[in-house]
Amino acid sequence: MTQTLVTSAKRQLAHEIISGGTGLVLALFMWGHVVLVGSILTGERGFNWMATFLEDYYIAQPTVVAIFTLFLVHAVFAARKIPAQLRERKRIADLAKGLKKSGREKVATRTAHSPFRPHLESMLWIWQVRTGMIMLVLGSFHLILLGMDVFTPLFGDIVGIESSTSMARVGAGLWLPYAILLLCVEFHASVGLYRLAIKWGADLWMSRKTMHRIEQVIFWLILVIGGLTLTVLAGWVEPPLAFLLDGAAP
Amino acid sequence: MSETTRQLRFEIFRYNPEDADSEPHTDVFELEETPFMTLYIALNQIREKFDPGLQFDFACRSAICGSCAMMVNGRPALACRTLTSDLPDKICLYPLPVFKLIGDLSVDTGTWFRAMVERTEAWIHERLPFDPDATEERMSDDIAAAIYENDRCIECGCCVAACGAANIDSAFLAGAGLNRIARFQMDPRDQRTDADWFEVLASEQGVFACIGMMACEDVCPKELPLLDVYGYLRRKSLATALSSREK
Repeated sequence: MTQTLVTSAKRQLAHEIISGGTGLVLALFMWGHVVLVGSILTGERGFNWMATFLEDYYIAQPTVVAIFTLFLVHAVFAARKIPAQLRERKRIADLAKGLKKSGREKVATRTAHSPFRPHLESMLWIWQVRTGMIMLVLGSFHLILLGMDVFTPLFGDIVGIESSTSMARVGAGLWLPYAILLLCVEFHASVGLYRLAIKWGADLWMSRKTMHRIEQVIFWLILVIGGLTLTVLAGWVEPPLAFLLDGAAP
Repeated sequence: MSETTRQLRFEIFRYNPEDADSEPHTDVFELEETPFMTLYIALNQIREKFDPGLQFDFACRSAICGSCAMMVNGRPALACRTLTSDLPDKICLYPLPVFKLIGDLSVDTGTWFRAMVERTEAWIHERLPFDPDATEERMSDDIAAAIYENDRCIECGCCVAACGAANIDSAFLAGAGLNRIARFQMDPRDQRTDADWFEVLASEQGVFACIGMMACEDVCPKELPLLDVYGYLRRKSLATALSSREK
């Protein structure tokens, strides 16, 4: 007996794997990204060394192309579940707000066996859509800007990513869109990983509560590192890890 | 119990679709809270004291029949199982969304569940002719326990009402439907193959239409492990798709 599977069903599975898979890769990339940009915490020398290394060995260029592609593919496939009609979105938002609120109302007499278990995840989903939309705009801007930084040196006598340009830009006002982008990315990625893990049944190994806690720890950790990086790039504080390169050759 | 009795304020959705003159609105009723008062008791008092025309469903008053589910302050819950002491002074009651409204707080969950059962063919599919002399096949305790766990669903519709995907597309199988699929898929007596199941559960209204809001498990009055069900079905369909490619 030949097993023929309905194409629609196969397609549903493929879409799910593409949206989840690209999301996973992008989230993991963002952690690496935070560490790489975080090289500014050791001072401009560390940052420039890192940038030159990634460009000279042609790591940066294909990465920009790959990430931009994944970014767009993820946007298309993850967005397939966002309701198209405004009235449908309002329906979902109202539902999520009601669910969030009902578990949190302070009731003096509430019993330990209250059936009202707290529920936040629906609202987190709404915020993932919102942050995703913001990232589509700000992320594209960032990818195009940095793509130009990385690719133009290939055609002329210009240096690629370097600390002086980056710091001038961020200090001159780009800190604001970058701060928004950072917040959106870290929220979207940490909640996305949590949701992805639950969807495929990671709660067999770990309770949902533990996973939610881990998600929150990751979110705050990366947000703090990213925020510190941004303040150093803006020139507001001195690189706190500069002592690490004190003895290093110039 | 508490020293002072609370005065509860109920805001209840009213609409009779059968009556051309009826307009959707909310009515307000005030009741004095009594010890161990459930919403079921409160609604009956409102019907006795204020409005005999108030429509709501109930049968067992012990969280088994699944009739009395409604939106309680924005969350689906069973009226019979919800103590007013767990709620603030102001209690808003609305009928469940997704399902067809019969009137006021009463909805028709039967049509939805019937359609779901027909679509998933939620009964044992035996392919061999019945042999009355054969001994019954043994089933392991683990599988029996897992099936029993999923079978505890009372079809109240709370998971469907709380589901973002079902609120957009009422044909989505939602927690209750996918739970039913998992229950029969893990049953060794059911002869349907993984490929048969794949077509049901990976269809456009199947497991991959879930948007992962996780509300189904959090509102389920029977505390069914619905997220485990989703994980199981996703992994199962991935395994089926991979193994069908090898053949």
